[in-house]
Amino acid sequence: MKEFKSIVNESGKGKFYLFTELCKGCGLCIEKCPKHDIGWTDRLGIYGAPTVESGRGEEGCIACKTCQNICPECAILIEKIQ
Amino acid sequence: MAVELTNVAPAMPACWRKETKTHKFCPGCGHGIVLKALGEAIDELGIQDKVIFTVDIGCCLLAIDFFNVDTVQTHHGRTNAVCTGIKRATPDKICIAYMGDGGGYAIGSQHLVNAAARNERITSILVNNTNYGMTGGQMAPTTLPGQKTETSPYGRSVEQQGQPTHGPEMIAAMAAEGAYVARGTVAKPKVLKKYFKKALEAQMNGSGFSFVEALSTCPTNWATNAKKTWAFLEGPMAEEYPTGEFKVPGEGGKAE
Repeated sequence: MKEFKSIVNESGKGKFYLFTELCKGCGLCIEKCPKHDIGWTDRLGIYGAPTVESGRGEEGCIACKTCQNICPECAILIEKIQ
Repeated sequence: MAVELTNVAPAMPACWRKETKTHKFCPGCGHGIVLKALGEAIDELGIQDKVIFTVDIGCCLLAIDFFNVDTVQTHHGRTNAVCTGIKRATPDKICIAYMGDGGGYAIGSQHLVNAAARNERITSILVNNTNYGMTGGQMAPTTLPGQKTETSPYGRSVEQQGQPTHGPEMIAAMAAEGAYVARGTVAKPKVLKKYFKKALEAQMNGSGFSFVEALSTCPTNWATNAKKTWAFLEGPMAEEYPTGEFKVPGEGGKAE
């Protein structure tokens, strides 16, 4: 089974795992986030486009998993912090 | 404070073929969301070993190595015809025909319409992105009135090119009782997955033809960024193409 490496950062109620080998930098998650918590980073994804991370909004992540559901590549995984 | 991890697996459906990921679609393409919803529907029904997946020519062709299921690639527009043949030869398999709006409504419309008229026990999934994506964004039967494409630089004229094709309405009007017809959108992937599950169940019960159209995105040929992509999908496209169930086995059903 192929394994993918991820970069994790925490924001609010959610841990945000980003798989750089999968993210193509389309930005659909940035527009769909209800708390405007996702933004661009300097790290590059598979097609040489910038990848995303959470922690840009004032309220932080609410772990609604909208970005995880909307990502066409399954490049985002949200883990709720208990 | 970035930490590299390898012990976390991405939230992919179990029937996705991990070796071929990331997939070949453009950044922001709706095919990935449609195929994720379909993969989750296949997982939840537990039918991965019974599915035969037929893909058309066009962008949907790039899904040929997408799932860990038997896959056939067919001549342009003949997906429903090939899928029908496979289903008749092996009735215990679950056959899914996957096509774009060009393959389903333009060159393959006779096969789609006649498969529905014969009430074939197959599931037909059509991805509507209002243009021909693979060849560079030419005008398709589903292009909205006034929409600019490669071959309609002044916008689609209703006087010359007619009204856009409304597939589910057409299929629902002619399909026999027991058929399942719905239209979903990639803006609501959970609802789309529900439609796929109902469509596959209609085939598994043998009640009749099932058809789901998915409204999808094409940022490359629409020349839109992420914000304008959602705005076009949820604005003009959603106005022209109402989502909902048009025909449900056992009840009437209408658009929401």
